[in-house]
Amino acid sequence: MIPLAHYLILSGILFSIGLAGVLIRKNIIVVFMCLEMMLTAANVALVAFSRAQGTAGVPVYDAQVLSLFITGIAAAEVAIGLALIVAMFRARRTVESTALNSLKD
Amino acid sequence: MNIVSTYTWCQFAPAFALVGLAALLILADALLPKLPKRIYAFIAAMGTFVAAYFLSNGEHADSFGCIASIATGLSILLAFDYTKVCCESIAGGDNEDGTGEFYALPLVACAGILCLTQARDLVMLFVSLEVITLTSYVMAGYFRRNQGSIEAGIKYLVLGAMSTGILVYGTAWYFGMIGSFNLGPETVIAALKGGVAGSPSLAIGFMMSIALLFAGAFFKIGAAPMHVWIPDVYQGAPTPTTAFLAVASKTAGFVVLCALALPFTQFAVPGSLIGKVLVTTFAIVAAATLLIGNLGAMRQTNVKRLLGYSSIGQAGFILIFFLQLQGPVTFFVCKYLLAYALATIAAFYAVAMVRTQRGSEEIAAFRGLGKTNPRTAFLITVCFASLAGVPLTMGFMVKLYSFVTVISVIQNWDAFCWLLPIMVVTAAAGFYYYFKVLRAMYWEKSQPGVPALQVPLCTSIVLALCAIALIYMGTMPLLTLG
Repeated sequence: MIPLAHYLILSGILFSIGLAGVLIRKNIIVVFMCLEMMLTAANVALVAFSRAQGTAGVPVYDAQVLSLFITGIAAAEVAIGLALIVAMFRARRTVESTALNSLKD
Repeated sequence: MNIVSTYTWCQFAPAFALVGLAALLILADALLPKLPKRIYAFIAAMGTFVAAYFLSNGEHADSFGCIASIATGLSILLAFDYTKVCCESIAGGDNEDGTGEFYALPLVACAGILCLTQARDLVMLFVSLEVITLTSYVMAGYFRRNQGSIEAGIKYLVLGAMSTGILVYGTAWYFGMIGSFNLGPETVIAALKGGVAGSPSLAIGFMMSIALLFAGAFFKIGAAPMHVWIPDVYQGAPTPTTAFLAVASKTAGFVVLCALALPFTQFAVPGSLIGKVLVTTFAIVAAATLLIGNLGAMRQTNVKRLLGYSSIGQAGFILIFFLQLQGPVTFFVCKYLLAYALATIAAFYAVAMVRTQRGSEEIAAFRGLGKTNPRTAFLITVCFASLAGVPLTMGFMVKLYSFVTVISVIQNWDAFCWLLPIMVVTAAAGFYYYFKVLRAMYWEKSQPGVPALQVPLCTSIVLALCAIALIYMGTMPLLTLG
């Protein structure tokens, strides 16, 4: 059986890649993929914890329910995000975050 | 399996009612294309005011929810006066197509806030918070013919989703360390004294989860390291949305912060390590927020951006209340939020009015208002004076509470003396930048030939009511003292 720590390390790696990608990458579609990765990291951790907290092989289902909610919310977020990206592409013909420069001090 | 629910359906009755109303409005928008869209704005605003009435006392009493629903209603009414710009920026020209949802969406977000105030565990907290933020993303990017609005929408979405990711990762670890999503003080105390205290690795995981959760909450209120989105989004978003974000969404942020911080009240005694860590964190974040918000506002020329920085600065003054952890924290936070909400909403009404008729949101567009519209200029003066904290306005009273709190904290902990000078300097900075608008209205001449503003009905009523409320609640405590 795979120990809990391995799942947590995996989720930590996913979270770090996601966070780094959001901060570093310039293409907004890639940034979106990284945001999804952060949510997936939380899902992995939740499901792993739900097993680990369970007794006699029965997991605590609370955490799995939350992971379902997260999946749904992530889908809604992507729908809104892609709509905004399409609107931006129509207006500026690019999806690079460096083009977002009309609002600044 | 026996499922025990922490919640009753009845708790969410106001939220369900608002979502139902929003669904009805969206249906009506699709089925009755001939109806003028302003009617939707009016109905939606009335719906939130009715909700606010039921939340003000009785079975559903909930002061945060009440402030949030009044603020939502006022920002929808702001859209009512702003229809000209809405039509121009959504469908182009006088075309009203696609503007209906813009008036219905804030209702959904408001329902999210009402659920949030009832949340007793992290699942409810997270889901209702997402209802608010997802709706806000749509609202921020709604003016698709306006470059600034799309940019604001994307910036808000990327940074907001990042904070969601951080918050939800914290939630996962909270569950892993404690074994439940419950946010009650009993759970936290049991965890800190029992399992977590016994095992150093659990304690580290627990502290990490709390830090991640606080980071998510600080994003919502725009506290210092997580404030970067505020000026851009506030400037770019449609003005009714900005008003919603500045007041209702900020209220939601403080609800989250209360829910996360207040279980730790028992540790807020000098000497306990956890209390010391928490209070120091709050002190540093509050000081940084005050400095960045108030000093950043000084060099702004765009009123919406100025109000964005001002909202960061005001959040700093509210964060001060969390330093005491014990005592009536939520009461003071509500009081401050009410003063902030009334003045800020009125300021956005003024911005929207000037934008519709003079086509600009710069401070320069306010020039000469004192001559051409003396009464409106006076009402705007009261609101900005309250934001700055001039005596005899409610803004002064609540800033006073903030100062009293910090002095008592300094006495209790015998530390954090550096907070007081920072607060004095930032409050003084507030006088400078709020009065820039007043100076433009009274001392700078408008260009010749610029006509007086036509004050729309809703704007004049709301400005007058807000100004009266601010003065009444600023002078009442003095009268009752005497």
